[in-house]
Amino acid sequence: MNRRLARLALGLYPLAFRRRYGQEMCSLLDETPARAGTVLDLVRGALFAHVRPPAALSGYVAPADRLRASASGVLACWVVFAAAGFGFYKTTEGGVFAGVGHAHFLLRGSFLTVQGLAAAASLAVILGAAPSILAVLARARREPAVRRPVSVAILAVLGFAGLTGIISLLASPAAHARPTGVGGIAFIAWGLAGLACAEVCVIASRRALFAVPMSGERLIAAFAGGALVTAAMAAITVAVAIYAVALPVDVSHLAGTPNGPLQAISVSASLVIQVVVMAAAAALATATTLRGWRAAWALRPGA
Amino acid sequence: MRSIGERSTDPALLVLTSLAEGPKHGYAITVDVEEIAGIRLGPGTLYGALSRLEDKGLIEALAAEDRRHPYRLTGAGSAALAEHLHTLERVARAGLDRLRIAAASA
Repeated sequence: MNRRLARLALGLYPLAFRRRYGQEMCSLLDETPARAGTVLDLVRGALFAHVRPPAALSGYVAPADRLRASASGVLACWVVFAAAGFGFYKTTEGGVFAGVGHAHFLLRGSFLTVQGLAAAASLAVILGAAPSILAVLARARREPAVRRPVSVAILAVLGFAGLTGIISLLASPAAHARPTGVGGIAFIAWGLAGLACAEVCVIASRRALFAVPMSGERLIAAFAGGALVTAAMAAITVAVAIYAVALPVDVSHLAGTPNGPLQAISVSASLVIQVVVMAAAAALATATTLRGWRAAWALRPGA
Repeated sequence: MRSIGERSTDPALLVLTSLAEGPKHGYAITVDVEEIAGIRLGPGTLYGALSRLEDKGLIEALAAEDRRHPYRLTGAGSAALAEHLHTLERVARAGLDRLRIAAASA
């Protein structure tokens, strides 16, 4: 189990690092006993490799593959970011927040900024990914190597839709009274399943993206979408942070009310967790976007 | 002189010390470091250190054997290691001397 997890953790490393050291690291994992500490060590190493990538490794990735890695990396970050954003939406939904919280200038301004940027980022994801998705789908008809990841993504979405249906039925008003907390646990399980489904789709799309020859224009479109999403993530994080700071100042009684699926933490604590997750996702997306700039420049039309 | 690390248990220093004996691949470095320092370097820590050292030109990879590259010290790596170890030696000697004097005067 640990060995399997360790191999999965290798996938967290930047593409150039894996191309240079991946085989050797696999070999080392085969030769040494894998412990839980090994997985944590790899996760930490991957994080460092993203934050401070060795300069000499840049030549290990062709510009086209750099753009593929950059676009899919941003998408993976966006999924995690969107999960935290969904948490923000759930935390601040309801008449109390609409009536009291949003009446304050900073709260209202930051909330509307989050909404507007989230819509713009979602649009950027769709527009940036559309040309690549069309190319992948066209190829999937002919090539099993491309059809496989596409099928995995479709199955993941169908599985999540089925799970959502089952949970909706169980949570319907007709269902018998449930013990306290069961609804909250079901909601957490549903959220985690949704996150897992989305990440499976990201991994599948990454595999498909690397399996299909693609024009520079399509890749630049995907990268540009990713760059816009990254900028939106950074701005949304700032807006949510402003909201998290302004709420206890302006409406202190709301900040301390219980929140979350299990009502175990306060609204303020929820907001802090969301800001931390958003900041981490935005920072990783920024790092992967910055690595793609040179490749996008090299692949620009007429270069 | 390019820096290696601040601590005597710094993975980069341990890797350089291991390679002072001759070229080794990742697994051999792990085993050697465990023998000389009692520290088991995880794969993430080991290859993080190897990549940084290679980037600084302190070590270089030799031709691959099977799936593994052996690594060896470069001239710059030998010089950086020697300087760092001499510094550690001076600090260790001064520390031990002071402890001895303090113990004698107590």
